[in-house]
Amino acid sequence: MPAVIETEALTKRYGQHRGIEGVTFAVQPGEVFGFLGPNGAGKTTTIRTLLDLIHPTSGSARIFGLDSRRDSVMIRARLGNLPGDFGFGRETPGRQAVQLLARLRGIDGIGRAEELARRFRADLDRPLGQLSRGNRQKIGLILATFHRPELLILDEPTSGLDPLMQEEFLALVAEERDRGAAVFLSSHELDEVERVCDRVGIVRGGRLVAVERMEDLLGKARRRFAVELRDPAGLERLRSLPGVADFELAGNRATFSAAGELDAVVRELAGHHVVDLEATHPSLEEVFLGYYDEEAAG
Amino acid sequence: MSAQIVALLRTHLYDRRRSVWAWGLPLGLMSAFIVAIFPSVETSISKAVKGYPQGLKEAFGIGELTSVEQYLHAEMLSLIVPLALGYLAVRAIASGLTGAAESGRLDVLLSAPVSRARLVAAGFLATAVELAAVLIFTGLLTGIGSLLAGSGLDAGAAVRGFANVWPLALLFAGFGVIAAGFSLRTSVVTGSVAGLLVAMYVIDLIGRLDPSLSGVRYASVFKYYGNAIEDGIEPLAFAGVTLAACTLAAIGAWLFERRDLAA
Repeated sequence: MPAVIETEALTKRYGQHRGIEGVTFAVQPGEVFGFLGPNGAGKTTTIRTLLDLIHPTSGSARIFGLDSRRDSVMIRARLGNLPGDFGFGRETPGRQAVQLLARLRGIDGIGRAEELARRFRADLDRPLGQLSRGNRQKIGLILATFHRPELLILDEPTSGLDPLMQEEFLALVAEERDRGAAVFLSSHELDEVERVCDRVGIVRGGRLVAVERMEDLLGKARRRFAVELRDPAGLERLRSLPGVADFELAGNRATFSAAGELDAVVRELAGHHVVDLEATHPSLEEVFLGYYDEEAAG
Repeated sequence: MSAQIVALLRTHLYDRRRSVWAWGLPLGLMSAFIVAIFPSVETSISKAVKGYPQGLKEAFGIGELTSVEQYLHAEMLSLIVPLALGYLAVRAIASGLTGAAESGRLDVLLSAPVSRARLVAAGFLATAVELAAVLIFTGLLTGIGSLLAGSGLDAGAAVRGFANVWPLALLFAGFGVIAAGFSLRTSVVTGSVAGLLVAMYVIDLIGRLDPSLSGVRYASVFKYYGNAIEDGIEPLAFAGVTLAACTLAAIGAWLFERRDLAA
Protein backbone atom coordinates (compact mmCIF):
# COMPACT_ATOMS: atom_id res chain seq x y z
CA MET A 1 0.00 0.00 0.00
CA PRO A 2 1.50 3.41 -0.91
CA ALA A 3 2.59 5.71 1.88
CA VAL A 4 0.20 8.48 2.93
CA ILE A 5 3.09 10.90 3.47
CA GLU A 6 6.45 10.46 1.83
CA THR A 7 9.19 13.07 2.01
CA GLU A 8 12.54 12.96 0.25
CA ALA A 9 15.37 15.15 1.52
CA LEU A 10 12.87 17.88 2.33
CA THR A 11 14.77 21.08 3.04
CA LYS A 12 13.69 24.58 3.94
CA ARG A 13 16.12 27.40 4.61
CA TYR A 14 15.27 30.99 5.45
CA GLY A 15 18.25 32.82 4.04
CA GLN A 16 21.04 32.21 6.53
CA HIS A 17 18.64 30.69 9.04
CA ARG A 18 18.02 26.99 9.36
CA GLY A 19 14.56 25.56 8.86
CA ILE A 20 14.73 21.84 8.12
CA GLU A 21 17.48 19.92 6.37
CA GLY A 22 17.13 16.73 4.35
CA VAL A 23 14.09 15.38 6.17
CA THR A 24 13.10 11.97 4.78
CA PHE A 25 10.37 9.77 6.21
CA ALA A 26 7.15 7.97 5.29
CA VAL A 27 3.85 7.55 7.09
CA GLN A 28 1.76 4.51 6.25
CA PRO A 29 -2.06 4.28 6.09
CA GLY A 30 -3.58 3.55 9.49
CA GLU A 31 -0.39 4.58 11.26
CA VAL A 32 0.05 7.11 14.05
CA PHE A 33 3.41 8.74 13.46
CA GLY A 34 4.85 10.90 16.22
CA PHE A 35 7.12 13.77 15.32
CA LEU A 36 9.10 14.62 18.39
CA GLY A 37 11.41 17.45 19.15
CA PRO A 38 11.82 20.49 21.35
CA ASN A 39 10.58 23.92 20.34
CA GLY A 40 12.47 25.25 17.34
CA ALA A 41 13.59 21.80 16.18
CA GLY A 42 11.73 22.09 12.86
CA LYS A 43 8.45 20.27 13.56
CA THR A 44 6.16 23.13 12.53
CA THR A 45 8.32 23.99 9.53
CA THR A 46 7.96 20.39 8.33
CA ILE A 47 4.18 20.53 8.75
CA ARG A 48 3.85 23.90 7.01
CA THR A 49 5.91 22.54 4.12
CA LEU A 50 3.68 19.46 3.86
CA LEU A 51 0.63 21.74 3.75
CA ASP A 52 2.23 24.00 1.11
CA LEU A 53 2.00 26.99 3.43
CA ILE A 54 5.73 27.37 2.90
CA HIS A 55 7.64 26.14 -0.09
CA PRO A 56 10.65 23.82 0.23
CA THR A 57 14.09 25.07 -0.77
CA SER A 58 14.82 21.58 -2.10
CA GLY A 59 13.56 18.04 -1.79
CA SER A 60 9.98 16.93 -2.18
CA ALA A 61 6.94 15.73 -0.31
CA ARG A 62 4.17 13.51 -1.60
CA ILE A 63 0.87 13.06 0.19
CA PHE A 64 -1.57 10.38 -1.03
CA GLY A 65 0.94 9.99 -3.87
CA LEU A 66 0.34 13.60 -4.96
CA ASP A 67 2.89 16.39 -5.12
CA SER A 68 2.54 18.60 -2.05
CA ARG A 69 3.05 21.79 -4.08
CA ARG A 70 1.36 21.15 -7.40
CA ASP A 71 -1.60 19.17 -6.02
CA SER A 72 -1.98 21.00 -2.73
CA VAL A 73 -5.70 21.75 -3.11
CA MET A 74 -6.53 18.11 -3.92
CA ILE A 75 -4.45 16.94 -0.97
CA ARG A 76 -6.14 19.31 1.46
CA ALA A 77 -9.55 17.95 0.45
CA ARG A 78 -8.52 14.68 2.13
CA LEU A 79 -6.81 15.85 5.28
CA GLY A 80 -7.56 17.60 8.52
CA ASN A 81 -5.08 19.96 10.17
CA LEU A 82 -4.78 21.46 13.60
CA PRO A 83 -2.22 24.28 13.47
CA GLY A 84 0.17 24.68 16.35
CA ASP A 85 -1.12 28.05 17.39
CA PHE A 86 -4.79 27.67 16.55
CA GLY A 87 -6.80 30.84 16.02
CA PHE A 88 -9.70 31.92 13.87
CA GLY A 89 -10.53 35.47 14.91
CA ARG A 90 -11.87 36.61 18.25
CA GLU A 91 -15.46 37.29 17.27
CA THR A 92 -16.20 34.11 15.37
CA PRO A 93 -18.13 31.39 17.21
CA GLY A 94 -16.89 27.85 16.66
CA ARG A 95 -20.10 26.86 14.88
CA GLN A 96 -19.59 29.57 12.28
CA ALA A 97 -16.01 28.42 11.73
CA VAL A 98 -17.18 24.83 11.25
CA GLN A 99 -19.93 25.96 8.85
CA LEU A 100 -17.42 27.89 6.77
CA LEU A 101 -14.97 24.98 6.65
CA ALA A 102 -17.84 22.63 5.73
CA ARG A 103 -18.85 24.89 2.83
CA LEU A 104 -15.25 25.12 1.65
CA ARG A 105 -15.11 21.32 1.74
CA GLY A 106 -18.42 21.00 -0.09
CA ILE A 107 -20.08 19.30 2.88
CA ASP A 108 -23.77 19.78 3.69
CA GLY A 109 -24.27 20.54 7.37
CA ILE A 110 -21.47 20.34 9.90
CA GLY A 111 -20.79 16.61 9.85
CA ARG A 112 -20.04 15.14 13.26
CA ALA A 113 -19.05 18.50 14.76
CA GLU A 114 -21.96 18.44 17.24
CA GLU A 115 -21.03 14.96 18.40
CA LEU A 116 -17.39 15.98 18.85
CA ALA A 117 -18.43 19.15 20.67
CA ARG A 118 -20.41 17.04 23.16
CA ARG A 119 -17.53 14.65 23.54
CA PHE A 120 -14.95 17.39 24.19
CA ARG A 121 -17.45 19.59 26.07
CA ALA A 122 -16.74 22.35 23.58
CA ASP A 123 -18.96 25.40 23.25
CA LEU A 124 -19.64 25.97 19.56
CA ASP A 125 -21.74 29.06 20.13
CA ARG A 126 -19.43 31.37 22.04
CA PRO A 127 -17.03 33.64 20.15
CA LEU A 128 -13.54 32.18 20.20
CA GLY A 129 -12.17 35.30 21.85
CA GLN A 130 -14.29 34.53 24.92
CA LEU A 131 -12.92 30.99 25.28
CA SER A 132 -9.90 29.86 27.29
CA ARG A 133 -6.91 28.51 25.39
CA GLY A 134 -7.90 24.93 26.09
CA ASN A 135 -11.48 25.48 24.95
CA ARG A 136 -10.27 27.17 21.77
CA GLN A 137 -8.02 24.19 21.17
CA LYS A 138 -11.09 21.93 21.36
CA ILE A 139 -12.68 23.93 18.54
CA GLY A 140 -9.46 23.50 16.57
CA LEU A 141 -9.63 19.73 17.10
CA ILE A 142 -13.24 19.70 15.90
CA LEU A 143 -12.32 21.70 12.78
CA ALA A 144 -9.54 19.23 12.04
CA THR A 145 -11.61 16.08 12.47
CA PHE A 146 -15.30 16.81 11.81
CA HIS A 147 -15.13 15.68 8.16
CA ARG A 148 -13.45 12.31 8.89
CA PRO A 149 -10.23 12.97 6.96
CA GLU A 150 -7.93 10.26 5.62
CA LEU A 151 -4.94 12.02 7.16
CA LEU A 152 -4.81 14.05 10.34
CA ILE A 153 -1.96 16.49 10.84
CA LEU A 154 -1.84 17.69 14.42
CA ASP A 155 0.71 20.19 15.67
CA GLU A 156 0.97 20.14 19.47
CA PRO A 157 -2.67 19.00 19.72
CA THR A 158 -3.07 18.70 23.48
CA SER A 159 -1.61 22.08 24.24
CA GLY A 160 -3.90 23.74 26.79
CA LEU A 161 -6.18 20.72 27.23
CA ASP A 162 -6.86 19.50 30.75
CA PRO A 163 -5.83 15.88 31.59
CA LEU A 164 -9.36 14.55 31.11
CA MET A 165 -9.61 16.05 27.65
CA GLN A 166 -6.11 14.83 26.82
CA GLU A 167 -7.36 11.31 27.53
CA GLU A 168 -10.36 11.93 25.30
CA PHE A 169 -8.09 13.24 22.59
CA LEU A 170 -5.84 10.17 22.73
CA ALA A 171 -8.94 7.97 22.49
CA LEU A 172 -10.05 9.92 19.42
CA VAL A 173 -6.66 9.47 17.78
CA ALA A 174 -6.88 5.72 18.40
CA GLU A 175 -10.37 5.65 16.87
CA GLU A 176 -9.16 7.56 13.83
CA ARG A 177 -6.36 5.03 13.37
CA ASP A 178 -8.82 2.16 13.78
CA ARG A 179 -11.00 3.46 10.97
CA GLY A 180 -7.90 3.58 8.74
CA ALA A 181 -6.82 7.21 8.95
CA ALA A 182 -3.14 8.08 9.22
CA VAL A 183 -2.15 10.53 11.93
CA PHE A 184 0.93 12.75 11.91
CA LEU A 185 1.30 14.07 15.43
CA SER A 186 3.89 16.66 16.28
CA SER A 187 4.57 17.02 19.95
CA HIS A 188 7.01 17.63 22.71
CA GLU A 189 4.60 15.93 25.13
CA LEU A 190 6.53 12.69 25.19
CA ASP A 191 4.02 10.85 27.31
CA GLU A 192 1.16 11.23 24.83
CA VAL A 193 3.37 10.14 21.94
CA GLU A 194 4.48 7.07 23.86
CA ARG A 195 0.87 6.10 24.47
CA VAL A 196 -0.59 6.57 21.05
CA CYS A 197 2.10 6.43 18.35
CA ASP A 198 3.18 3.40 16.34
CA ARG A 199 6.41 4.99 15.16
CA VAL A 200 8.31 8.08 16.12
CA GLY A 201 10.59 10.44 14.25
CA ILE A 202 12.97 12.44 16.41
CA VAL A 203 13.90 15.81 15.03
CA ARG A 204 16.71 17.94 16.26
CA GLY A 205 18.26 21.10 14.85
CA GLY A 206 16.13 20.77 11.71
CA ARG A 207 17.31 17.22 11.00
CA LEU A 208 15.48 13.96 11.50
CA VAL A 209 17.91 12.06 13.69
CA ALA A 210 15.95 8.83 14.07
CA VAL A 211 12.79 7.04 12.98
CA GLU A 212 11.95 4.06 15.15
CA ARG A 213 9.06 1.83 16.04
CA MET A 214 7.93 2.81 19.48
CA GLU A 215 8.80 -0.55 21.05
CA ASP A 216 12.24 -0.55 19.41
CA LEU A 217 12.89 2.92 20.67
CA LEU A 218 11.92 1.96 24.19
CA GLY A 219 13.92 -1.28 23.88
CA LYS A 220 17.05 0.61 22.95
CA ALA A 221 16.74 2.88 25.90
CA ARG A 222 18.60 2.40 29.13
CA ARG A 223 16.49 0.81 31.84
CA ARG A 224 17.21 1.60 35.45
CA PHE A 225 17.58 -1.16 38.06
CA ALA A 226 17.73 -1.18 41.83
CA VAL A 227 18.70 -4.45 43.50
CA GLU A 228 18.96 -5.35 47.18
CA LEU A 229 21.16 -8.33 48.11
CA ARG A 230 21.70 -10.23 51.32
CA ASP A 231 25.47 -10.12 50.65
CA PRO A 232 26.75 -7.72 48.00
CA ALA A 233 30.30 -9.10 47.96
CA GLY A 234 31.55 -9.44 44.41
CA LEU A 235 28.71 -7.44 42.93
CA GLU A 236 31.26 -4.88 41.68
CA ARG A 237 31.69 -7.27 38.74
CA LEU A 238 28.42 -5.88 37.37
CA ARG A 239 30.21 -2.60 36.67
CA SER A 240 32.36 -4.18 33.98
CA LEU A 241 29.54 -5.97 32.13
CA PRO A 242 28.75 -4.69 28.62
CA GLY A 243 25.87 -2.18 28.56
CA VAL A 244 25.94 -1.50 32.30
CA ALA A 245 26.50 2.06 33.48
CA ASP A 246 25.91 4.40 36.42
CA PHE A 247 26.69 1.60 38.88
CA GLU A 248 26.44 2.67 42.52
CA LEU A 249 26.61 0.50 45.60
CA ALA A 250 25.36 1.72 49.00
CA GLY A 251 25.23 -0.91 51.71
CA ASN A 252 23.32 -3.90 50.41
CA ARG A 253 21.59 -1.89 47.70
CA ALA A 254 22.98 -1.34 44.20
CA THR A 255 21.59 0.82 41.42
CA PHE A 256 22.65 0.81 37.78
CA SER A 257 21.33 1.26 34.29
CA ALA A 258 21.58 -1.22 31.45
CA ALA A 259 20.92 -1.23 27.74
CA GLY A 260 20.51 -4.08 25.29
CA GLU A 261 20.23 -7.74 26.31
CA LEU A 262 20.24 -8.44 30.04
CA ASP A 263 21.43 -12.05 30.04
CA ALA A 264 24.85 -11.26 31.54
CA VAL A 265 23.29 -9.09 34.25
CA VAL A 266 20.80 -11.81 35.22
CA ARG A 267 23.56 -14.46 35.33
CA GLU A 268 25.66 -12.27 37.61
CA LEU A 269 22.74 -11.56 39.94
CA ALA A 270 21.87 -15.28 40.00
CA GLY A 271 25.05 -15.90 41.99
CA HIS A 272 23.67 -13.79 44.84
CA HIS A 273 20.75 -13.98 47.21
CA VAL A 274 18.45 -11.30 45.78
CA VAL A 275 16.13 -9.73 48.37
CA ASP A 276 14.47 -7.21 46.04
CA LEU A 277 14.74 -6.13 42.44
CA GLU A 278 13.15 -3.09 40.77
CA ALA A 279 13.29 -2.39 37.04
CA THR A 280 12.08 1.00 35.83
CA HIS A 281 10.72 1.20 32.29
CA PRO A 282 12.25 4.27 30.66
CA SER A 283 10.01 7.15 29.82
CA LEU A 284 10.15 8.43 26.31
CA GLU A 285 11.68 11.55 27.77
CA GLU A 286 14.67 9.53 28.89
CA VAL A 287 14.83 7.92 25.48
CA PHE A 288 14.61 11.29 23.87
CA LEU A 289 17.28 12.81 26.09
CA GLY A 290 19.42 9.76 25.41
CA TYR A 291 19.29 10.55 21.71
CA TYR A 292 20.29 14.10 22.37
CA ASP A 293 23.17 13.06 24.59
CA GLU A 294 24.32 10.63 21.90
CA GLU A 295 24.23 13.41 19.31
CA ALA A 296 26.06 15.80 21.58
CA ALA A 297 28.72 13.18 22.27
CA GLY A 298 29.00 12.33 18.57
CA MET B 1 -19.09 32.40 -8.92
CA SER B 2 -17.81 29.34 -7.08
CA ALA B 3 -19.49 28.17 -3.86
CA GLN B 4 -16.16 28.60 -2.07
CA ILE B 5 -15.87 32.27 -3.05
CA VAL B 6 -19.50 32.86 -2.03
CA ALA B 7 -18.85 31.25 1.38
CA LEU B 8 -15.68 33.30 1.93
CA LEU B 9 -17.37 36.47 0.69
CA ARG B 10 -20.23 36.03 3.16
CA THR B 11 -17.78 35.50 5.99
CA HIS B 12 -15.74 38.58 5.05
CA LEU B 13 -18.87 40.71 4.84
CA TYR B 14 -20.12 39.41 8.18
CA ASP B 15 -16.77 40.15 9.81
CA ARG B 16 -16.70 43.65 8.34
CA ARG B 17 -20.39 44.44 8.91
CA ARG B 18 -19.67 47.18 11.43
CA SER B 19 -17.55 49.19 9.02
CA VAL B 20 -20.67 50.42 7.19
CA TRP B 21 -21.67 52.18 10.39
CA ALA B 22 -18.19 53.00 11.59
CA TRP B 23 -17.20 54.70 8.35
CA GLY B 24 -20.52 55.54 6.70
CA LEU B 25 -22.05 57.24 9.71
CA PRO B 26 -19.37 59.89 10.34
CA LEU B 27 -18.83 60.52 6.64
CA GLY B 28 -22.59 60.64 6.01
CA LEU B 29 -23.28 62.94 8.95
CA MET B 30 -20.49 65.24 7.87
CA SER B 31 -21.77 65.34 4.30
CA ALA B 32 -25.33 65.84 5.55
CA PHE B 33 -24.12 68.75 7.68
CA ILE B 34 -22.31 70.28 4.68
CA VAL B 35 -25.38 70.20 2.43
CA ALA B 36 -27.69 71.26 5.27
CA ILE B 37 -25.77 74.42 6.08
CA PHE B 38 -25.26 75.39 2.46
CA PRO B 39 -28.42 77.59 2.15
CA SER B 40 -27.34 79.65 5.14
CA VAL B 41 -23.69 80.07 4.12
CA GLU B 42 -24.18 80.23 0.35
CA THR B 43 -23.73 83.97 -0.05
CA SER B 44 -20.73 84.39 2.21
CA ILE B 45 -18.98 81.29 0.82
CA SER B 46 -19.54 82.42 -2.72
CA LYS B 47 -18.00 85.81 -1.95
CA ALA B 48 -15.09 84.27 -0.11
CA VAL B 49 -14.28 81.86 -2.94
CA LYS B 50 -14.22 84.69 -5.43
CA GLY B 51 -11.34 86.10 -3.41
CA TYR B 52 -9.30 82.86 -3.52
CA PRO B 53 -6.26 82.79 -5.85
CA GLN B 54 -7.10 81.09 -9.14
CA GLY B 55 -4.29 78.54 -8.73
CA LEU B 56 -5.57 77.49 -5.34
CA LYS B 57 -9.08 77.04 -6.69
CA GLU B 58 -7.79 74.89 -9.53
CA ALA B 59 -5.60 72.89 -7.20
CA PHE B 60 -8.51 71.91 -5.03
CA GLY B 61 -10.96 71.60 -7.90
CA ILE B 62 -13.03 74.53 -6.70
CA GLY B 63 -14.80 76.47 -9.40
CA GLU B 64 -17.60 78.65 -8.23
CA LEU B 65 -19.38 77.62 -5.05
CA THR B 66 -22.79 78.75 -6.15
CA SER B 67 -24.56 75.41 -5.82
CA VAL B 68 -24.90 72.82 -3.12
CA GLU B 69 -23.38 70.22 -5.45
CA GLN B 70 -20.25 72.34 -5.93
CA TYR B 71 -20.06 72.88 -2.19
CA LEU B 72 -20.40 69.12 -1.49
CA HIS B 73 -17.64 68.37 -3.96
CA ALA B 74 -15.30 71.00 -2.54
CA GLU B 75 -15.86 70.07 1.08
CA MET B 76 -16.20 66.30 0.90
CA LEU B 77 -15.74 64.62 -2.45
CA SER B 78 -12.52 66.29 -3.53
CA LEU B 79 -10.48 65.19 -0.53
CA ILE B 80 -12.07 63.72 2.58
CA VAL B 81 -14.24 60.96 1.09
CA PRO B 82 -11.67 59.63 -1.42
CA LEU B 83 -8.87 59.60 1.16
CA ALA B 84 -11.09 58.02 3.81
CA LEU B 85 -12.46 55.38 1.44
CA GLY B 86 -9.00 54.66 0.02
CA TYR B 87 -7.75 54.00 3.53
CA LEU B 88 -10.84 51.92 4.34
CA ALA B 89 -10.14 49.80 1.25
CA VAL B 90 -6.63 49.00 2.46
CA ARG B 91 -7.87 48.22 5.95
CA ALA B 92 -10.54 45.91 4.56
CA ILE B 93 -8.24 43.95 2.26
CA ALA B 94 -5.58 43.75 4.97
CA SER B 95 -8.04 42.31 7.47
CA GLY B 96 -8.90 39.52 5.04
CA LEU B 97 -5.29 38.61 4.24
CA THR B 98 -2.63 39.82 6.65
CA GLY B 99 -5.10 40.09 9.54
CA ALA B 100 -6.17 36.50 8.87
CA ALA B 101 -2.53 35.42 8.81
CA GLU B 102 -1.86 37.14 12.13
CA SER B 103 -4.92 35.66 13.83
CA GLY B 104 -4.17 32.14 12.57
CA ARG B 105 -7.35 32.01 10.48
CA LEU B 106 -5.40 31.76 7.23
CA ASP B 107 -3.75 28.51 8.36
CA VAL B 108 -7.15 27.02 9.14
CA LEU B 109 -8.73 28.17 5.88
CA LEU B 110 -5.79 26.80 3.93
CA SER B 111 -6.30 23.42 5.57
CA ALA B 112 -9.41 23.22 3.38
CA PRO B 113 -9.25 22.59 -0.36
CA VAL B 114 -9.29 26.26 -1.32
CA SER B 115 -6.63 28.03 -3.34
CA ARG B 116 -4.94 31.18 -2.14
CA ALA B 117 -6.13 32.93 -5.32
CA ARG B 118 -9.73 32.28 -4.26
CA LEU B 119 -9.04 33.67 -0.81
CA VAL B 120 -7.66 36.83 -2.40
CA ALA B 121 -10.56 37.05 -4.87
CA ALA B 122 -13.11 36.75 -2.07
CA GLY B 123 -11.32 39.39 0.00
CA PHE B 124 -11.16 41.76 -2.94
CA LEU B 125 -14.82 41.25 -3.84
CA ALA B 126 -15.83 41.75 -0.22
CA THR B 127 -13.86 45.01 -0.15
CA ALA B 128 -15.62 46.17 -3.33
CA VAL B 129 -19.01 45.43 -1.76
CA GLU B 130 -18.03 47.06 1.53
CA LEU B 131 -16.88 50.24 -0.23
CA ALA B 132 -20.12 50.39 -2.18
CA ALA B 133 -22.15 49.90 1.00
CA VAL B 134 -20.30 52.69 2.82
CA LEU B 135 -20.73 55.04 -0.15
CA ILE B 136 -24.44 54.23 -0.45
CA PHE B 137 -24.96 54.82 3.27
CA THR B 138 -22.98 58.06 3.15
CA GLY B 139 -24.96 59.19 0.12
CA LEU B 140 -28.27 58.34 1.79
CA LEU B 141 -27.43 60.37 4.87
CA THR B 142 -26.33 63.24 2.64
CA GLY B 143 -29.65 63.10 0.78
CA ILE B 144 -31.56 63.07 4.07
CA GLY B 145 -29.60 66.11 5.22
CA SER B 146 -30.49 67.94 2.05
CA LEU B 147 -34.17 67.01 2.32
CA LEU B 148 -34.38 68.13 5.95
CA ALA B 149 -32.65 71.44 5.25
CA GLY B 150 -34.27 72.01 1.88
CA SER B 151 -30.89 72.42 0.20
CA GLY B 152 -32.13 71.08 -3.11
CA LEU B 153 -29.25 68.68 -3.70
CA ASP B 154 -29.62 67.02 -7.10
CA ALA B 155 -29.92 63.30 -6.29
CA GLY B 156 -28.49 62.19 -9.63
CA ALA B 157 -25.46 64.44 -9.23
CA ALA B 158 -24.89 63.22 -5.69
CA VAL B 159 -25.08 59.57 -6.81
CA ARG B 160 -22.53 60.29 -9.55
CA GLY B 161 -20.26 62.07 -7.08
CA PHE B 162 -20.23 59.26 -4.52
CA ALA B 163 -20.13 56.49 -7.13
CA ASN B 164 -17.02 58.03 -8.66
CA VAL B 165 -15.10 57.42 -5.43
CA TRP B 166 -15.60 53.65 -5.68
CA PRO B 167 -13.02 52.75 -8.37
CA LEU B 168 -10.46 55.09 -6.86
CA ALA B 169 -10.80 53.48 -3.45
CA LEU B 170 -10.83 50.00 -4.98
CA LEU B 171 -7.51 50.74 -6.64
CA PHE B 172 -5.92 51.01 -3.20
CA ALA B 173 -7.41 47.66 -2.27
CA GLY B 174 -5.53 46.35 -5.31
CA PHE B 175 -2.33 47.95 -4.04
CA GLY B 176 -3.11 46.35 -0.66
CA VAL B 177 -3.18 42.88 -2.25
CA ILE B 178 0.17 43.60 -3.92
CA ALA B 179 1.61 44.69 -0.56
CA ALA B 180 0.29 41.50 1.08
CA GLY B 181 2.27 39.61 -1.56
CA PHE B 182 5.41 41.02 0.06
CA SER B 183 4.51 41.31 3.72
CA LEU B 184 2.08 39.52 6.04
CA ARG B 185 2.18 42.30 8.61
CA THR B 186 -0.98 44.38 8.66
CA SER B 187 0.87 47.47 9.86
CA VAL B 188 3.29 47.26 6.93
CA VAL B 189 0.51 46.77 4.36
CA THR B 190 -1.80 49.51 5.66
CA GLY B 191 1.08 51.90 6.34
CA SER B 192 2.71 51.53 2.93
CA VAL B 193 -0.51 51.75 0.93
CA ALA B 194 -1.88 54.63 3.03
CA GLY B 195 1.41 56.40 2.33
CA LEU B 196 0.95 55.75 -1.38
CA LEU B 197 -2.60 57.13 -1.19
CA VAL B 198 -1.43 60.38 0.36
CA ALA B 199 1.56 60.55 -1.99
CA MET B 200 -0.70 60.22 -5.03
CA TYR B 201 -2.93 62.97 -3.73
CA VAL B 202 0.05 65.26 -3.15
CA ILE B 203 1.54 64.46 -6.58
CA ASP B 204 -1.76 65.37 -8.21
CA LEU B 205 -1.93 68.57 -6.16
CA ILE B 206 1.59 69.60 -7.19
CA GLY B 207 0.74 68.95 -10.81
CA ARG B 208 -2.30 71.17 -10.55
CA LEU B 209 -0.53 73.96 -8.68
CA ASP B 210 2.38 74.17 -11.11
CA PRO B 211 1.39 73.72 -14.77
CA SER B 212 5.03 73.05 -15.68
CA LEU B 213 4.81 69.91 -13.50
CA SER B 214 1.43 68.79 -14.80
CA GLY B 215 3.06 65.67 -16.29
CA VAL B 216 3.57 64.20 -12.83
CA ARG B 217 -0.19 63.88 -12.47
CA TYR B 218 -0.07 60.80 -14.71
CA ALA B 219 1.58 59.02 -11.80
CA SER B 220 -1.47 59.62 -9.66
CA VAL B 221 -4.91 58.03 -9.88
CA PHE B 222 -6.38 61.35 -8.73
CA LYS B 223 -5.75 62.70 -12.23
CA TYR B 224 -8.51 60.40 -13.44
CA TYR B 225 -10.86 61.17 -10.56
CA GLY B 226 -12.27 64.49 -11.75
CA ASN B 227 -15.45 66.15 -10.52
CA ALA B 228 -18.25 63.72 -11.26
CA ILE B 229 -20.85 65.63 -9.28
CA GLU B 230 -20.63 68.48 -11.78
CA ASP B 231 -19.16 66.91 -14.90
CA GLY B 232 -20.65 63.42 -14.61
CA ILE B 233 -18.74 60.18 -14.46
CA GLU B 234 -16.07 59.82 -17.12
CA PRO B 235 -16.83 56.25 -18.27
CA LEU B 236 -13.34 55.58 -19.60
CA ALA B 237 -11.67 56.74 -16.39
CA PHE B 238 -14.19 54.82 -14.25
CA ALA B 239 -13.71 51.60 -16.21
CA GLY B 240 -9.96 52.10 -16.56
CA VAL B 241 -9.36 52.62 -12.85
CA THR B 242 -11.63 49.66 -12.00
CA LEU B 243 -9.72 47.50 -14.46
CA ALA B 244 -6.42 48.70 -13.00
CA ALA B 245 -7.65 47.77 -9.50
CA CYS B 246 -8.62 44.28 -10.69
CA THR B 247 -5.27 43.88 -12.47
CA LEU B 248 -3.38 44.87 -9.34
CA ALA B 249 -5.44 42.38 -7.32
CA ALA B 250 -4.68 39.65 -9.86
CA ILE B 251 -0.95 40.40 -9.71
CA GLY B 252 -1.18 40.49 -5.92
CA ALA B 253 -2.94 37.11 -5.92
CA TRP B 254 -0.13 35.70 -8.05
CA LEU B 255 2.45 37.04 -5.59
CA PHE B 256 0.41 35.77 -2.61
CA GLU B 257 0.18 32.32 -4.19
CA ARG B 258 3.96 32.12 -4.43
CA ARG B 259 5.01 33.48 -1.08
CA ASP B 260 5.68 31.57 2.11
CA LEU B 261 2.95 31.95 4.68
CA ALA B 262 5.25 32.01 7.65
CA ALA B 263 4.74 34.23 10.62
